[in-house]
Amino acid sequence: MNQRLDALRSYLLDKKHHAFVKTAAEAGIADLNERFEREGTPDQMRSAIVFSEMMRCQEPVILPGEKIVLTRTVKDVPFIYTDKEWEGIKATHYIHERGTVSNISPDYETTVRLGLGARREEVEARLQDEGLDEKGRTFLESVLMCIDALQDLIARYEKKAREEGESDTAEVLARIRTEGAGSFREALQLLRAIHFAIWAADNYHNTLGRFDQYMYPYYRHDIDSGVLTREEAFDLLEEFFLTCNKDSDFYPGMQQGDNGQSIVLGGRDAEGNYLFNEISEMCLKASYELRLIDPKINIRVDSRTPDEVFEKGSRLTKIGLGFPQYSNDDVVIPGLVRKGYSEEDARNYVVAACWEFIIPKVAMDIVNIDGLSLAACVKDSLPALKGCKDYEDFYCEVEKNIFREADRICAGHKGLYMIPSPMMSLLMDGTIERARDISLGCKYNNFGIHGTGLATAADSLAALKKFFFEQKRFSAERLLDALEHDFNNDPELKEMLRKEAPKMGQDDDEVDAIGTALLDSFDKALEGRVNERGGIYRAGTGTAMYYIWHARDLGATPDGRTAEENIPANYSPSLFMKQKGPVSVIKSFSKPHLERVINGGPLTLEFDRTVFRNDESIRKLGMLVKTFITLGGHQLQLNTVSREELLDAKAHPENHRQLIVRVWGWSGYFVELDECYQDHVISRIEFDV
Amino acid sequence: MTSGTIFSIEEFAVHDGPGIRTAVFLKGCPLRCTWCHNPEGQRFGSELMVKKGETSICGTEYAAEDLAAKLLRNEAIFRMNSGGVTFTGGEPLAQGDFLIAVLEQLKGRIHTAIETSGFAPVETFREVLGKLDLVMMDIKLVDQERHRHWTGVSNAIILRNLETLIGSGKPFIIRIPLIPGVNDDEANLEATAALLEGAAGLQRVEFLPYHKTAGAKYPMVGRSYNPGFDTQIPSRLDTEPFDKRNITTMIL
Repeated sequence: MNQRLDALRSYLLDKKHHAFVKTAAEAGIADLNERFEREGTPDQMRSAIVFSEMMRCQEPVILPGEKIVLTRTVKDVPFIYTDKEWEGIKATHYIHERGTVSNISPDYETTVRLGLGARREEVEARLQDEGLDEKGRTFLESVLMCIDALQDLIARYEKKAREEGESDTAEVLARIRTEGAGSFREALQLLRAIHFAIWAADNYHNTLGRFDQYMYPYYRHDIDSGVLTREEAFDLLEEFFLTCNKDSDFYPGMQQGDNGQSIVLGGRDAEGNYLFNEISEMCLKASYELRLIDPKINIRVDSRTPDEVFEKGSRLTKIGLGFPQYSNDDVVIPGLVRKGYSEEDARNYVVAACWEFIIPKVAMDIVNIDGLSLAACVKDSLPALKGCKDYEDFYCEVEKNIFREADRICAGHKGLYMIPSPMMSLLMDGTIERARDISLGCKYNNFGIHGTGLATAADSLAALKKFFFEQKRFSAERLLDALEHDFNNDPELKEMLRKEAPKMGQDDDEVDAIGTALLDSFDKALEGRVNERGGIYRAGTGTAMYYIWHARDLGATPDGRTAEENIPANYSPSLFMKQKGPVSVIKSFSKPHLERVINGGPLTLEFDRTVFRNDESIRKLGMLVKTFITLGGHQLQLNTVSREELLDAKAHPENHRQLIVRVWGWSGYFVELDECYQDHVISRIEFDV
Repeated sequence: MTSGTIFSIEEFAVHDGPGIRTAVFLKGCPLRCTWCHNPEGQRFGSELMVKKGETSICGTEYAAEDLAAKLLRNEAIFRMNSGGVTFTGGEPLAQGDFLIAVLEQLKGRIHTAIETSGFAPVETFREVLGKLDLVMMDIKLVDQERHRHWTGVSNAIILRNLETLIGSGKPFIIRIPLIPGVNDDEANLEATAALLEGAAGLQRVEFLPYHKTAGAKYPMVGRSYNPGFDTQIPSRLDTEPFDKRNITTMIL
């Protein structure tokens, strides 16, 4: 990192740019909703007006040394509805999270290539169609309003740059206001502008997709024509990464850091080429140097990916940002095709905010619409234990409960309403042609369900199979009684279940087969279901924050887990499993039919920081990752932590402001997390080699 | 059926040989190095160990066939990653028959290595050597008296086995725990380097600087840690005697 960027990085980390920030109320735009209500403004126009006002109220600022500009100076985005209106909508509709479009992968590529001017013409041309209905016309007009507002802001930035004598920056801005990008710098600036715009449009979990692929042509052009040296290109890329950390305090998420700015590197194309290019490599390097939580890096790999890619990824793992996260093309692509995505779309998959596999440009999937607790399905089956003649009989009960739970969950997704986003619509395929907002759907409208507590469920079943059905070491009454009393009345039973029973993650074929069966049942339970938008349901192995929520209602479980103990995050072993080591873990967790749970959700391995003392051990970590992929694992995230440091950070947060940890599918600053998430990170397994 | 006592099996032992490896810890050691960080590996046979208030039995008896079968479960993974199995301890050669029985079953299927003090009957050493792919051997001190003082045994047999090792042409790594004020002086390192000069099979010399947490496990096996040297002084790192003989070194 050069001096310019180092200074800019410190400036941003010290939040000096917050001096320019005001609230929507201070900007005088906080009560637009009241006017909308009074005037009965349609939602489509409300979104466009709020966006325009957000753009209008931004104060152009160029931070010291900046070459890629645009800083958010209005902190909060005014909501388009009054509380009363929103309560009314919520009473009659299904609202996903905050109600705005989120967690999809926009098509930046097209607008960066064609330019805002050409996109504007495209919308205007579409408006000439006399067959358009009222809704279509309103939609297209709302898009035009957004483009105008964004172009206007860019023009004001250009003026500001000229005033400050930043003529290069002014030239770049002058061009990208209307034209498509003609250079790497212009491409990054235009990308920044569009990305900035969708955040300001109140969309969130705005992923960055296949950055290395869509940026590469501009880089190649500039290098080949001598416009930029590699170093200059790298500086610009690093600066773009910095911009992702500029306004992120204002981005909504479950916790600070959960903002979904993921990028995806690599991947294999239909001709069999592995697409890891110079930009991919520069991204890893930039992240290594900057040591910031955004953007969060994913690498698409497969069993034929060169070893050096895993090695380079491991070098980044070492510094403890909690990424890169790996996903396996060998599993994910066929899995997506199996779920009805076209081969071409599946090949273009990216990773959503956390781990969900999504398709850029064409999918309006809601990949985190709900969570199904596999552990609760086992727990709810226990009253039937006594009447079951054998384990298979009991497993039928569990499967019935999984189906019942799927029925209940899917029945809840009725009357979905999403707040329109004309700005985001501009960046999604076919919206202009259809003259319909992206919030109403796209080519794919699938819903994803997280499957939580897999290890807890599998371990519980394994313990029952072995000790109850085969060895008959306790009665159903005794077990139920102990669970009801959280094992306080029967420590002996707790010890047996907890310590003697096999656990998923120990490379024990029997318990691993139970894990496989549970995921198969989960997939089967969602098979054939169609949501109200005509999409399908996808099963996954992620948990998101459900690992905290579902654990709270669960009570003690037959794997010897007490009521207050957590369940593992995502696709991971029980938190109290007796470790055999990471090789056994990756073996266990690569056995299930992972192409059937393609909503995603990674295995998480945590290593003590001291493991990676030298290059040789980093290389070996790369080997371990590649082994998981070769064995058929779908997704893996790794974390290097130091238990002592985490404990100290909890006690003395002021000394650990920069400590970064992986939480569930994203990395954040440890000291900014709620305590329950901090404690979960501390209690997770860690390999101390 | 030959059996032996193991006190730990660790997967992904990144500092114990090439590739992805499993380390098997054989219990029992004839040496009593005062800095030993694995005191539970010193006594032969099982013993009680108290960890975080929980008592467990340290040391599990394994039949050679069972241990081999367990290790062979990961044969494909070892092959995929130029890895294998490393027998360490304790002193693995102290359970020579057991070790040989296990090695015979792994032969040709899994790359095998050993971490040894070299303190073993010459016949055992020679026989095991013939069944291994890689040897990692400690040279703690060259001076015989000092060796006896700090480890409890003479190094005469160790140095004889080192000669055998060098003469065999088998690939090997020498490991030197760098103990402050005990063996990190120039004279000892110079003498060690001289022993290794020109050895064809020598891949490199690895230094293991003394770590302050070495005494952590003594209370767990009901013993106290009295290393007899100042543990607060950092080890002296001096690769010069090796550098000048073109011997590759590495600090772990």
